[in-house]
Amino acid sequence: MVFKNIKLAVVFMLCAFATVNVFAESETGATARQVVEKFQTELINVMKNGKQLGYAGRYEKLYVPVTNSHDLTKIARIVVGKESEKLTEAQQQKLVDAFTRFSVASYAHNFKDYSGESFVFDSEEQTARGGVVVHSHLVIPDDKPVKFDYMLKEKGNSWRIINIIANGVSDLALKRSEYTTILQREGFDALIAKINEKIDNYSKQ
Amino acid sequence: MNKLYTCHRNAKIKQLFLNLFIATAVTLNGCATTKIAEQPHRVNKADPYENFNRKMYVFNDTVDDYVAQPISDAYKWVTPQFMQTGVFNFFNNLKTINVIINDVLQAKFKQSGEDAGRFALNTTLGLGGFLDVGRNVGLEQNDEDFEQTLAVWGVPQGSYLVLPFLGPSTWRGIPGSVLDTAANPVSYVGMPIQLVYLLNSRANAEGALKFIDEAALDPYVFTRESFLQWRNNLATDGKTEASFELDMDLDSDVDSSVKSKDLNADGKAESK
Repeated sequence: MVFKNIKLAVVFMLCAFATVNVFAESETGATARQVVEKFQTELINVMKNGKQLGYAGRYEKLYVPVTNSHDLTKIARIVVGKESEKLTEAQQQKLVDAFTRFSVASYAHNFKDYSGESFVFDSEEQTARGGVVVHSHLVIPDDKPVKFDYMLKEKGNSWRIINIIANGVSDLALKRSEYTTILQREGFDALIAKINEKIDNYSKQ
Repeated sequence: MNKLYTCHRNAKIKQLFLNLFIATAVTLNGCATTKIAEQPHRVNKADPYENFNRKMYVFNDTVDDYVAQPISDAYKWVTPQFMQTGVFNFFNNLKTINVIINDVLQAKFKQSGEDAGRFALNTTLGLGGFLDVGRNVGLEQNDEDFEQTLAVWGVPQGSYLVLPFLGPSTWRGIPGSVLDTAANPVSYVGMPIQLVYLLNSRANAEGALKFIDEAALDPYVFTRESFLQWRNNLATDGKTEASFELDMDLDSDVDSSVKSKDLNADGKAESK
């Protein structure tokens, strides 16, 4: 009887501890590494079913994983740099909306099938300004691996990707050069038109 | 005699390229109209010759669309995949000689030993380089060239340049390419093999060119930025923290602009 009570107490304690842990997790959110690995797993799953899903299916399946793991509002603000000061609130919202659709569409278009690829975690490090860089690489059968470094920043209680550096090429820096150049040379409407055109092209292929 | 003939022919080719370069430069500079009603914009520090480079980019793109791509497509259509892979492996193996030289010049002696082993293995067991045996035994090819060696020796990169027919480069990249060409055995063989080499190079670039075409909002800027970042990453063997520092700069730029906006808003609110 005593043993039974002790057993019950332990079970209760474990349950209580587990509850606290779950609570702590939802309170503090996932770690930077967990955010990256969850996203990579979801991406590989979509690639595995890529052909059956088709572009529209991949877009739908990836929308939540991409928007939950990336801070797209912040990225959209960074890529227009100081030009953002010249944009109205409505234009900024339009940019975030177009940029979000473009980001998901790029993933849906470029990660369309699976031939044994897998992501491998290498290491993580903190940056001077409180960010975290998760180093990983994509293993591609019969090809050179591609290094993927994810830069994350804390947003509220969770970590969000703000940049991906593939084999040393920073997506954020690349986009910032493109977007600011187009804004300076051709203006806001041309930028949005170009983004929409790319999304259309992705959906047709 | 052959050597004399080759020298003479190379001099003629160089003269032809020089003439084409001058003719193109003059013609393109003469073009006053562009499709875009351009607004004045800040000059990129790495690309002070942007106006000229953009015209050269358009020229190269046109040459590619009308000449290189159709020939490359025909090559891919008539050549079975295993043959294309074999041809790629063959030329890639020859390039390893250049890699080994630059390994040594950069004092990467262990790496030079690995690359020499890979070259010996592919040349013998790999049937003259057509089979990449090295990869199967875990010897991945390293990527070294004279431009990277010059970077290691402290030669500054210089401005970004788009060269006619040859594409993206920098001031440092020009002597680098000349030395790379001199160290590649393909430069000393007959024209048919050089032509296959060019076709193979174009066929291999297909994926990257298609990606740029699909993803880039401004293909010129996309190519420039990815080229410069890629070369920088190679020169530093991926050990640079520049990318992260850059990200932090980007972030702080935005943060400061947001803060200044907030401050302005506060200021306005106070004045009201």
